[in-house]
Amino acid sequence: MRGFDLVVIGGGLLGCFAARNLCRRQLHIALIEAREDVCTGVSRANTAIVYPGYDHKPGTLKAEMTVRANARFAELCAELDVPFSRCGSLMLSCGEKADAVLREKYKNGLSMAVPGLRLLSGEEARELEPSLTAGVTSALYAPTAGTVNPWELGIAAVENAAANGAELFLNNRVLGIRKTAEGYRIETDREVFACRAVLNCAGLYADRVQELLFPSEVHIVPDGADYLILDRAAANKPTHIIQYEPEDGGKGFNAVPTVEGSLLLGPSERANELDFAVSERGIDFVRERAAFVLPGLDLGELIRSFAAVRPNPRREDGSSIGSFVIENPAPGFWSMIGIKTPGLTCADELGRFAAEKAAAFLNAGPNERFDPRRRGIKKARGMSWEQRAAAVRSDPDYGEVVCCCEDITKAEVLEAIRRGATTLDAVKRRTGACMGRCQGSRCQQKLLALLARELGVPEDAVTKDGAGSEVLGGGRHED
Amino acid sequence: MKTELLIVGAGAAGIAAALSAWEAGCRDILLVDRREKPGGILPQCLHEGFGLATYGMELSGPEYTDRITERLAHTGVRLALGTEVLKVRGDRTAVLSDRGGLTELHFERLILAAGCRERSIGSLPVAGTRPAGIFTAGQAQEMMNLRGQDLGREVLILGSGDLGLIMARQFVLAGKHVIAVIEKESRCGGMARNVRRCIEPYRIPIRCRTTVSAIHGEGRICGVTLRHLDSGAEELLPCDTLVTALGLIPDRELVRGLGDPDWLFLAGNCHRVHDLADSAVAEAETVGTRVGGELAV
Repeated sequence: MRGFDLVVIGGGLLGCFAARNLCRRQLHIALIEAREDVCTGVSRANTAIVYPGYDHKPGTLKAEMTVRANARFAELCAELDVPFSRCGSLMLSCGEKADAVLREKYKNGLSMAVPGLRLLSGEEARELEPSLTAGVTSALYAPTAGTVNPWELGIAAVENAAANGAELFLNNRVLGIRKTAEGYRIETDREVFACRAVLNCAGLYADRVQELLFPSEVHIVPDGADYLILDRAAANKPTHIIQYEPEDGGKGFNAVPTVEGSLLLGPSERANELDFAVSERGIDFVRERAAFVLPGLDLGELIRSFAAVRPNPRREDGSSIGSFVIENPAPGFWSMIGIKTPGLTCADELGRFAAEKAAAFLNAGPNERFDPRRRGIKKARGMSWEQRAAAVRSDPDYGEVVCCCEDITKAEVLEAIRRGATTLDAVKRRTGACMGRCQGSRCQQKLLALLARELGVPEDAVTKDGAGSEVLGGGRHED
Repeated sequence: MKTELLIVGAGAAGIAAALSAWEAGCRDILLVDRREKPGGILPQCLHEGFGLATYGMELSGPEYTDRITERLAHTGVRLALGTEVLKVRGDRTAVLSDRGGLTELHFERLILAAGCRERSIGSLPVAGTRPAGIFTAGQAQEMMNLRGQDLGREVLILGSGDLGLIMARQFVLAGKHVIAVIEKESRCGGMARNVRRCIEPYRIPIRCRTTVSAIHGEGRICGVTLRHLDSGAEELLPCDTLVTALGLIPDRELVRGLGDPDWLFLAGNCHRVHDLADSAVAEAETVGTRVGGELAV
């Protein structure tokens, strides 16, 4: 049995940032994650927007946190050495009803001092972003909106937590939680953990994890969603985040110029689905919306479509909950249940919030040795030629390009594996390899060989994303 | 560093262009390729059908590669393998990267012979999950023939172009079960020769007017939904491997945005996708002779 002051359950963005912030105190922390890597659920697939904060009701935790988190975001990303693009956003309307919605959001934003907000005419919006539909009647411009790669951020946070003493346990699925005289006892399919306090950040399963010991007043009703990614070469890509507020009040639409240079389009909406499977209807919806909002966009440059699942918090009676829910069913036990948009924006703030509550309960003093800085994997792409030449001189592996679409070198892949990547997807998430237009058809086999060699396992044991996803041999057969 | 003629890509077209340029009198040629061995994709093409035009006989990809690299060795063409061209600039410089470092190279003429890349499944709006066990045909060919890897047992081929047909046979010869070749058009997309050689002897079904509308499987692919395009009817087809032959796209990434400068020439599949290597080679020879003649000493 392993003993800790506090165990964080769930290695999504929330769990990773909770662990990071708990390290600011003198606490012995464990982060346990069911999967083979962190950030594989809600954090893996979402809209990747760092919101400016005009969307939420003033005075609520969500509204205050979003504005504060946005203001701090560049600093956070600098600390964690993660690319952040503050590209600004334009929320569009194409009619009177949506114009009114935008005016409300504008007023809302002003009352919360969201910086730089401007209400633009359709003409002004098209001046700023010529690729927009001619039908735009007004737009809300928010220069502080931005985008970050969600999994890159979460991985950075967990690396920083680990460097500050947190222990990470992957492949540990929680089976049971019990109350003990000293606190709690958590059983996983591999280990038993004893701890004084528990922070449940189990994402889509947070309600069920709480119910292992306590009733939950909040239940998660998952929503599926579909997204498309266009290649960076696609013509007429917008340079701002484009958000479309439909006149009929239906599901909005986003086009996000990602930090990688591709364009993310979506989401569609599918109610009540805990299913990471793309729907044809969803793809059609996103394509139709994209063609309407950005008529010149070349949808033929599609390189990937993927599905996301969002945890919608609902009360027992089925009514939805607009605010962030942090339950505290018993002393020393907290659950973040149904944290969705803007969970990415607020991940560090939520982590701090939960960590402070836990630290107060555990009477933990500040950790003077906490270092908030983390260095990312040094990327060849984006270096000046002089820097890149120096990188190759100090490590010849920087001279060997493995993923030619995204310009990722062998040195980066080896460093990702050294930092704990054990699957193709884990390497992809840490380096960006396979994310380009060929989607790994030219480099996946090289990554497979490097993983097998570095991990000391046969090639047919290497997986895409955990047991059961073996790349070779047709996978595991029952016979 | 300087070179008169830089050729990017040491596949069939790049080598042919280099040989022709040398024969035309150019004596300062650098041929670069990111792979560790010359020949481009030829070494992974174990089937026969190369060199009929040049050598009057049908050779396998590796045999053909041996012939042309042998000829190359008798010239003064410098070959830089394991070398990535990171950038080509409008001022006729290129940045090359290998394990020894970065090199800035000035050239007079550039022949791009970078071949093509395969359209991946990601470019199709296919529903379902994104499991392991999906390969492009060229990728499957490389993994099986150069790396000796076993990809799967129950194989579905999406796309009946030549590469799809060739891979269908290859899986059968490796002792695997090829369930079918899926083709959205009303007839097979590959050459009659390949249907005769790769499909008919093994009785592999080609299912025309069908497509994969969804992919199933959590970790590894366990099947697809096959849609009949005329009736709209769907059926579930179990498989553990999906090989996609969705077409080839000329790879001109390196010169994107450079326009059409008078020092740039395209040869082989990066110019247009050729059905046969012989045809890509013939085109590259014409380009090589012309450019080599201009630079002849």
